[in-house]
This record gives sequence, structure tokens and C-alpha cells, in this order.
Amino acid sequence: MPEAKATKTGRPPGIALAFLPNRVLSRTTAAIVIAFWVVATLILWVALPWKTLPTPLEIWRALGTMWWTRGLGPELFTTLKLIASATFFTVVVSLSLSYVTVLPFFRPLVEGVSKLRFLGLTGLVFPFTLMTGGGYALKVVLLTFGMATFFVTAMAQNVAEIPRSEFDHMRVLGAGEVRIVWEVVVRGTLDKAVDCLRQNVAMGWAMITMVEGISRAEGGIGALILDENKHFLLAEVYALLLVILVVGLAMDYAMGVLGNVLCPHARLGRIAR
Amino acid sequence: MTSIAGEVLLDVSKVSQTLGGTKILAGVSFQIIDRVRADVVTGQVVALLGPSGVGKTRLLRILAGLDAPDAGTVRGKDGVELLQGSVGFVFQDYPLLRHRTVRSNLELAGRIAGMAPADTVKRADRLMETFQLAERADFYPAQLSGGQRQRDAIAQQIMQPRQLLLMDEPFSGLDPAALAKVASLVVEVANLDDLNTIVVVTHDIRTAMVVSDTVHMLGRDRSGGKIVPGARVKESYDMVERGLAWRRGVEQSQDFLELEREISAKFQEL
Ligand SMILES: Nc1ncnc2c1ncn2[C@@H]1O[C@H](COP(=O)(O)OP(=O)(O)O)[C@@H](O)[C@H]1O
Ligand SMILES: [Mg+2]
Repeated sequence: MPEAKATKTGRPPGIALAFLPNRVLSRTTAAIVIAFWVVATLILWVALPWKTLPTPLEIWRALGTMWWTRGLGPELFTTLKLIASATFFTVVVSLSLSYVTVLPFFRPLVEGVSKLRFLGLTGLVFPFTLMTGGGYALKVVLLTFGMATFFVTAMAQNVAEIPRSEFDHMRVLGAGEVRIVWEVVVRGTLDKAVDCLRQNVAMGWAMITMVEGISRAEGGIGALILDENKHFLLAEVYALLLVILVVGLAMDYAMGVLGNVLCPHARLGRIAR
Repeated sequence: MTSIAGEVLLDVSKVSQTLGGTKILAGVSFQIIDRVRADVVTGQVVALLGPSGVGKTRLLRILAGLDAPDAGTVRGKDGVELLQGSVGFVFQDYPLLRHRTVRSNLELAGRIAGMAPADTVKRADRLMETFQLAERADFYPAQLSGGQRQRDAIAQQIMQPRQLLLMDEPFSGLDPAALAKVASLVVEVANLDDLNTIVVVTHDIRTAMVVSDTVHMLGRDRSGGKIVPGARVKESYDMVERGLAWRRGVEQSQDFLELEREISAKFQEL
């Protein structure tokens, strides 16, 4: 077969590889491929016949207006503060609940909390408003609820899936149960916890504009979007969406870095595979 | 080391286990006696030989205190009960903590045993030297070859001052050169102390004979060609009595080859 031969002897050079299945590209080739798609997207954007989409230039201008005259900076900061608090509480609550599943007594509780994710947020606004008195606390609670129910589900699953052999290994070394929990359950799944966090921060970020819409008094980027919507400022809305996207990607990247710093071994495992 | 010759170091008596309604172990009994040689530090190496699925791993788990037998007893030196953590166990898949480096895996074992920090570091360094891991001290398990993982897993088990070490199939999946290395490593580790005892589980007859002073063969009975569930020690071979232990190049001798043929024939019938 000529195909098999090509694999064995000379490897097809450069860009041709991008069109063969299951190949790994060199950095340069990969960059070229990415550049192609970016340019293609931009061309499509500008050349699209229907005009619901503002041009890149219009969006750029809108971004400037928002930043300089409508306080996009402070609003963004408000939103970031919200996601930070909610993430903090999510991590504390979810990890505690997930780790405590090593005690059979708590498993039904955690199972129950995990099931609450099917409730969704809309119906909870009223009861949570009564509990928190609304405002900032309400938003933190809503967002934490939205993130934590999913985080607990995934993380408790990770804990449940730890193979028995890992516990046996530590027992044979004479480790006590507390140390086993620390080494195997907490540290052993830390890379998975960071992965979960990454997913849930992304989810939280996607939910945040909605949550900010529920209680608009403190502002935030979600409240800002609703404002621009009301005034049919399309370019401004797209500018805000762009900001949300870029900040979201930046947070995701930061989580990736955090993962590499906390658990350098996890990345090695992936490369080895 | 003071030890009375012939002292019983491990007494496995009528150990039985049933799993999921199937009898796995049906009264496994054997003893490990301290081997004494004048002027030579001699540990014990005992091979448990048996076909795949016969119950070797289950038996080791019981010896390590991980599982309790349905019946029978396991006693250590002076008749003490063997508690979980007092017996080293190198599992077949060489588990290591993947978030810890080679060095850190060893040091953890020392810390768990309550060794002084300085001793822990010193012993870990020495073991890494012995096991050719010094250059890999700061590598994570994911960065190690199979052989390096295995050596780190063995080193981790012998970090702690324990005298009984169980090894589950340490010879399987190795190329001939690696096999010879691991085999001599087993003997070396055993001979670090008079009271050291290594129980090696294997289905490799030749290597079992080379490394051990005693070979126990685990097998099930047959009745009318059908296997009767439940393994026990079917045969035991005292390699010392036969003059086949502690000899360099013993595997070339006529006696060795004859015994190997005999054991192989028995093994086929199991
Ligand atoms: N948890 C279990 N439940 C039921 N049967 C088991 C279990 N673990 C092992 N067995 C059975 O016990 C027998 C012995 O297993 P094992 O000790 O692993 O064999 P080996 O001698 O190859 O190490 C096998 O037939 C296996 O199917
Ligand atoms: Mg086995």
C-alpha cells in the first residue's frame, strides 16, 4: 500500500500533513493552520450579507466608548469580584462535601446535594432572596449554588472512582486512615479537582450575566448588557460579548496554569499517554 | 542479629477463603523457618508457585493483613499476629503515589513509619543508589520506565524497618536481562538481614528455583479430570536440603535441571 509506505519512509512535508488523518503538526504548521481559520473567520464576518453583525471596527469603537464613558472597567471589576467570591465558596463547599464522602454516613447528603442541580436557578431566586435579603449576597448564593451542585457531582464521582488498590497501597505502608484520606483522596485527586474547578468556573462565568440581571442594583457586566440591549446598541452588546469571551478565556488559561503548578505530574501523565 | 536456628518466622495454618460462593483457598498451610548459615547473613526467600487464577494474590492479601481469611491463621515470629502495615507488599502493578516523586515516595514511607527525618533522607538516598534510581530522584512515576517504577515500588516497601516482604509476580513481563537483575535484587534484599523474609509469588518455575530456598506449589485437586475448587500447598521443595540453594550458577547443574523437569511436570497437572 502506498499510504503505508509513505509513513515508513519519507514523511510528507509541512502543510500536507494537516490533511492526513491522525497526524501531529509542527508548531509552525499548526500556527499556519490557525492563522488560516482566523483570517477566514474575519473575511466571513466582514463579507456576510446580513447586517445584524457590526463590523470589527464598529465593535472596537463601541469598546472604547464603553470603557471611557460608561465605566466598563469598574463594572468588569464588580463582575470579577462576584465570580471570585462565588468560586471561593464553591471550592470550599464542594471539596468538603466531596471529601467527606469517605464517611458513608455523609454519602446520602452529598448525593442529595448533587441532585439539586436539576432545580435550575430561576425558581430559586425567590426563596434565596428571602434567605439572603437580595443584593450582592443573593448573587453570590445563586452562583455558588449553580456551580457547587455541578462541582460536587463531578468531584464526588472522582473520589468514588479512586481504585481500591490505592488505599491498599497506603495501608500496606502502615498509613493511618487520616493520612490515607489526605494522600489518596485529597492530594491524589487534586489534579481532577483543578480540572473540575476549571469546568465550573467556565459554567459560572457563562451564568454570571444572567445572575447579574436578576439583581441589577450593584451593576456588573451583566447589568450593563441588559442596559445596552434596552437601547438597541448592537455594537456595544457585541463589544461586551467580546470582553466576556476574552476574560473567560483568560480565566480558563489561568486555571490551566494553576493546574500545572499544583500538579505537574498530571500533565506528564497526559503527555505520556 | 540474634536468632535461634530453626525459629519459625511465618506460620500459615489452614487458611481458607471463599469469594462469591467459590472456594478459592482450601486450607493453605506452610511455615517459613529461619535459615542460618555460619558467617553469612542469610535471609529467607520463599517462592509460591502456582498457575494463574489459583489464588496466589488472594493469599498474599491475607498474609499482608489486607483481607481476613474465613478460616485459619497467619502468625509471625513468636506467634504474633501480623497487622496491616507490618508486612511489606509489592503489588503486581507497582503502585506509587503519582503526585510524589521517586524520592518523595520513599520518604513518605519513612515518615509513616515514624523514622527520624535525617534517617529517612539517608535511607532514601541509599536505596535510590542501590536501586539505580539516584538520577531519577526528582522524577514523577509517570516519567519512569516500567523497570524503574518496579524498583521504586520495591524500595518504597523496604524503606521501613520490616522483615517480611511479599512480592506479587515481580518477574512477569520482564526481558531476560531485566529478569536476572530483579532476581538477584530479590536475593540481595533478603540477605540484608538474617531475619528478612521475602515471599515471591510467580509462575516462572526456573526463576522461582533460582532465587528461593523453598518452593511451595499451590494448586487445586482434580477429580476425574475436573478441577475441584480451592487451592492448597500441593508440593514443597526444600532447595537447601537438595543442595540447590545459595549456589552461583546452580541453574546449570544436573540436579537443578532434573528438579526443574519434575516441577514442570507437576505444574502441568495442576
Ligand atoms: N473479589 C473477588 N471476588 C470473587 N472472586 C475473586 C475476587 N478476586 C479474585 N477472585 C477469584 O479468585 C481466584 C484467584 O485469584 P488470584 O488470587 O488473583 O489469582 P492468582 O493466583 O493469579 O493471583 C480467581 O479465580 C479469581 O477469579
Ligand atoms: Mg495474581
